[in-house]
Amino acid sequence: MTASTAPAEAFGTPLHGATQAEHPAPTLDGRLADLLADKKILLTGVTGFIGEQLLWKILNDLPDTRAAVLVRRKGSATARDRMTSVVKKKIFKPLAEPYGGPDGLLDAKIDIIEGDLPNVPKLPTDIDIVVHCAGDVSFDPPIDRAFNTNLIGTANLIDRFLESCTGPDGTFTRMPHYVHVSTAYTAGRRRGAIGEAPHAHDIDYEAEMAAGLKIAAEIETQSRTADQLAKFRKAAEREHRAAGHLITATDTERRRKEWVQQKLVQAGTERARSLGWTDAYTFTKALGEKVVADKCAGIRASIARPAIVESSLKHPYPGWIEGFKMAEPIILAYGRGELPEFPASPEAICDVVPCDYVVNATLAVAATEPKVGVCEYYHVSSGARNPMSFREFYGYVRDYFLEHPMVAGERGAPALPQWQFPGAASIERFLSRSERGHQLANTLIKFAPRSERTRKAARDLDRFGSRINFLRSYLGLYNEYAQSELHFVDDNTLRLTRSLHPDDQETFSFDTGDYDWTEYILHTHIPAIVAPVRRLEELRRRRGNRATTFVDLSRTKDKPGEVLAAFDLDGTVMSTNVIEQYLWTKLPDLAPTGQLREIASIARKLPSYLRADRTDRGMFLRTIYRRYAGADLAALEEFVDTVLAREILSRLSPEAVRRAREHREAGHTTVLITGAIRPLTRPLRPLFDVIVASDLATDANGICTGFLTGPPMVGESRAAWLNHYANLHGIDLSRSYAYADSHPDLAMLSVVGRPVVVSPDIALMRAATANGWSSVIWSSKAQDPRWTRPFRIRGRDVPPATGSTPQLESSAESSAESGRESAGESAGGSGAESSSAVDVRGER
Amino acid sequence: MARPGFVLEVDDRTPALLVPDGPRVRLERFPLGTEVLYPAEPLPAVGDLVAAIDAALAAPAESRPLADQLRPGMRLTIVFDSVTAAPALRTPDVRGRIIERVLVQAAAAGVDDVQLICATGLNRRNTQGELRQLLGERVFRSFYADGNLTNHDALDRDRLTVLRPAGQGQPASQPEGRPDDQYEIAVNSRLAESDLVVAVHLAHDIGQGGLTGSGLGMLSTGLTSLETIRAVRGYGAPQGRIDEIGAAITEAVPVFAVEAVLDNNSYPPALDFLATREWEWTLKSQAKLLALRGATALPSRYSLLINDRLESGYRVTAVNAGAPAPVAAAGRARVLEQQQVEVSGQADVLVLGVPAVTPYSIGSVTDPVLAAWHALGVGYNSVTGEPLVRPGGAVIVYHPLAQEFSTLQHPATVDFFADVLPTTTDAAELADRFESKYADDPWYSQLYRTSQAFHGLLPFHLWYQLAPAAEQAGDVIFVGADRGSAARLGFRAASTLADALEITSATVGRTPRIRYLHTPPALLGSVT
Repeated sequence: MTASTAPAEAFGTPLHGATQAEHPAPTLDGRLADLLADKKILLTGVTGFIGEQLLWKILNDLPDTRAAVLVRRKGSATARDRMTSVVKKKIFKPLAEPYGGPDGLLDAKIDIIEGDLPNVPKLPTDIDIVVHCAGDVSFDPPIDRAFNTNLIGTANLIDRFLESCTGPDGTFTRMPHYVHVSTAYTAGRRRGAIGEAPHAHDIDYEAEMAAGLKIAAEIETQSRTADQLAKFRKAAEREHRAAGHLITATDTERRRKEWVQQKLVQAGTERARSLGWTDAYTFTKALGEKVVADKCAGIRASIARPAIVESSLKHPYPGWIEGFKMAEPIILAYGRGELPEFPASPEAICDVVPCDYVVNATLAVAATEPKVGVCEYYHVSSGARNPMSFREFYGYVRDYFLEHPMVAGERGAPALPQWQFPGAASIERFLSRSERGHQLANTLIKFAPRSERTRKAARDLDRFGSRINFLRSYLGLYNEYAQSELHFVDDNTLRLTRSLHPDDQETFSFDTGDYDWTEYILHTHIPAIVAPVRRLEELRRRRGNRATTFVDLSRTKDKPGEVLAAFDLDGTVMSTNVIEQYLWTKLPDLAPTGQLREIASIARKLPSYLRADRTDRGMFLRTIYRRYAGADLAALEEFVDTVLAREILSRLSPEAVRRAREHREAGHTTVLITGAIRPLTRPLRPLFDVIVASDLATDANGICTGFLTGPPMVGESRAAWLNHYANLHGIDLSRSYAYADSHPDLAMLSVVGRPVVVSPDIALMRAATANGWSSVIWSSKAQDPRWTRPFRIRGRDVPPATGSTPQLESSAESSAESGRESAGESAGGSGAESSSAVDVRGER
Repeated sequence: MARPGFVLEVDDRTPALLVPDGPRVRLERFPLGTEVLYPAEPLPAVGDLVAAIDAALAAPAESRPLADQLRPGMRLTIVFDSVTAAPALRTPDVRGRIIERVLVQAAAAGVDDVQLICATGLNRRNTQGELRQLLGERVFRSFYADGNLTNHDALDRDRLTVLRPAGQGQPASQPEGRPDDQYEIAVNSRLAESDLVVAVHLAHDIGQGGLTGSGLGMLSTGLTSLETIRAVRGYGAPQGRIDEIGAAITEAVPVFAVEAVLDNNSYPPALDFLATREWEWTLKSQAKLLALRGATALPSRYSLLINDRLESGYRVTAVNAGAPAPVAAAGRARVLEQQQVEVSGQADVLVLGVPAVTPYSIGSVTDPVLAAWHALGVGYNSVTGEPLVRPGGAVIVYHPLAQEFSTLQHPATVDFFADVLPTTTDAAELADRFESKYADDPWYSQLYRTSQAFHGLLPFHLWYQLAPAAEQAGDVIFVGADRGSAARLGFRAASTLADALEITSATVGRTPRIRYLHTPPALLGSVT
């Protein structure tokens, strides 16, 4: 190895020099069970895919071999807990039976060592072989995590292992064997045949590691700079300003974390590419191999390099697979008709190996006795002798889904796209075009009027967007692999499998040339990975739709007084807005010219009002309410009772009223929370136990000053109010309900357990979808065309109630008052009590 | 002399005929041989209404003249039909003119204590504007501001006087003897406290489908308590009870009845051609029709504005005054004279159109329940004897049955349609399971008392009125209707008349005897 700084010279001459094995790798002599008898094998990564089967194989087929496992704690689950859940799985059931269940099996056969990977604990002194198959399997890990698990973890593990084998005198008490499960793709962006030998490069992994960790710290620091935080905040505000500061803050922090993550991944990928690897995963794995070679210079060491590991072909049963691996999301996406094209070279080799072959090979390697100081490499791959091109793979997937289509929902089988393999560039163009289109549409739809059609368009847009995102992320990940023109030589592996004892061939063979792709991919692998998805979808279909937060109230078992139902007013219970309400109260008072002047003045200010509404709802309300200055509050209330009640009641949504009444019947406290002024809520008093509204401040004569007695009840103050009220009255918010229609109400919806969005705007609809909240459409159709009414109001529609005032009204009033006061709201001078009613709106 | 109503048999020279279809009108070609019942032309109106009123007040039937009954210091109460009972007439409204004449006599006699009560019953309170229109500016102004002009409130137990408590009535006259025959009779306290009640009523129907009918009906359903009205309008209530209660009230309270009988001019003057026969339409009429159809093709809330603006063109053909019973009888006789049309035998299929505005949808929309009631309650029962269609025959109705409701006026109907009708459409079951809940509902009661809502029982009472017709008819099919609404009501929907006939062919055969009721104007079929 005389290379300089970059591995460049090694490219193109793959079989030259140190990349080619210079000696025959060791083979086996005898049955595996005998060779490994009385040995203790420490496994890492048993909670993973390959590790789990390794453990199973040892327990199942190597009766005299003892297994030890290194498992880390996860949250509150101890290593023992995690192992229990591993051996509770179906494949371990026959093994656990003789021991009376999973716990017995653990006690009898498995040593559990609790420990983390970078911080490996002291290991017991009786371990003969370590099989290290833990690792970060994602292709795009953040740079610090990649180094931590794949490099530092490996180095520490080997160090502890060496310590455990070293006696007090500094010499080995026994000759240990370290088996490292790496990946064939550590070859990186090399091309052509790759030998079973170390990759030629002279990268100083310690320096890389230090640099990588340093960068990670820097990125974290950078994300907290004022400039960067301001950027996150502005982006969050664009989306969430209307919903309130806390929600914006949460989103800002989410954006920061996302940005850090993205930068870390980017740093890893770019560093890997600058040195000739595809991504941080293969890069750190390759450095890990070098760590192994260096650290294990004094012991036996072997490295197994599997290619793409997929479901088992034979053991424990055909099609055994745990979790979702590499190709599965793509296969499923294709089956759903969501993958229009793929940037693969059609003739690139899709180097898939069944998991049981990898497990067998690893155990066989563990049983070998390589020469001390010479690290042996084994490619567990199929490309050399049993190649399957990407086109063939595509053919199998397509055939499978043509024969067994995924039926998702009631729309029948999706149309399967036909791939033309136009190349990465063309797909990239398609993707970026789609992304631009999506972004543009997304901007435009924010200005669309609120309607069911707009919501449907937004839903379609979101589905399209998530599909593009899926494509973008997966194509980014697999791009390199699907185009790699690597050819993994597997002479060592082949020799090893051939040296298996004839009696072991059936159980332990791993000759990747011995199976048929049609049998494996079409009849075993794809059915195995699609089956659980089908089961899930079947279950979902049977269960009907998702859980709903809009529940049937007639069967509720809530105790009376423990649950509340909060309703927003504008847009939820009633179809109006504050400007319209203002005009209702104002216009009838004016002569026609005055009416026109008033409307012109509103129209002139409308753009600034709309802008205010987008930025700060509270400020917007204050601006509008300033116009009430000079109005007599008592007269205003009388006007609402005798004239405006008609407007308000005819704009009520019948569904909302019915729902509020159902809540009351179920014994729930009904609450109306609105930024509207209190007089306008008067006709609704019989429906709600508590009404929280804006109170107009009045002077000594009961004349409105144009200010409010307190801040308007909008956005997050509603959530705060609900929390406070619930505390005071012993109400369980987690079982309570809230109904609202627009993004500013998000906070109010979030504090209750059963939020329901009502004919929502797009931002709220998205939030509801993300949180799994029910969405209902409540219509309110006034019989009069909207804008004709204010002009037509003349005098009273309803004579003032004479004789005895109906009982209901007074009781609703008192409970509203008491609720308001006890909840700490400033009731203020509502003015009605203190001032005499002067009818400024007398008869015309 | 007005031409009487007649039956036209459709032949190949018959033009397309006018069919009211809710907010719109359509021209429909009927199958050959269809019998079309045309109403009579309006009877001659009284020439000088004031003179006629004065004459009636001066020479009442079975009673002393009104002037003789008035004396200083007495309590006089004038009750009158609400807009629901009789549509707003051309200003000045007849009600106002009669009341003005009564007030003139009262003033002359030195009566100070006069109150006016709008006989709203369980119907919505009449608005300030409506009262002004019904009574005229002068009367309105003199009484309204002082609180002497009010709407009746059937729930205000403080202002209701029980004339006969529940359980003291006659033993049940019906064979099944429903226990609620022992109903209470309670009236507005002002009536009970009055020395004289003048009941001003406009007669234009015979009470079919729960319409007010005579002045006795106005007393018993317009000015009594919830319980009393339930006894009249409730499920299975016998036909005659409305008059029984009216008579009981007139026994307890001195009532002087004044009735004006209306003619047939139900369309506003600008559209009166709609009441004429299609083959007599002039070019001008046809142009107007074109304009009308264009205007009503607008979304319903705009077409509603148009329909709302139109005052009907009714005129008065007779004024009767005196004791309530003979006045009622005279009024009924005059209504029959105006509206009765003789037909022979019962048909297999009855075709009806629902007009834009029904008594309960003045100033609001005709929702599906109202439309069904108007067809099967009023239209089907517009007869003096046997129905126009044989039992088991089909009823074909024109109405879109759009699911539009007035949350202001019909809050209970919205819920009735959404919650109750999906459970059952059987009137007995409705009465049993749901009626009491709606009767006592605090929200509906509140809206009835303080806003402009009909009482929560309105949809039930409408349903009890239409249920017998729905039971007798084999098929009830709505042409051009919202299928969901039709199914919810328990009926069927068809896109065209031809399809509707196709649907009914299973029960009435391929060549049924079809009869089309060419209303409005109103007519009463008399099957011989």
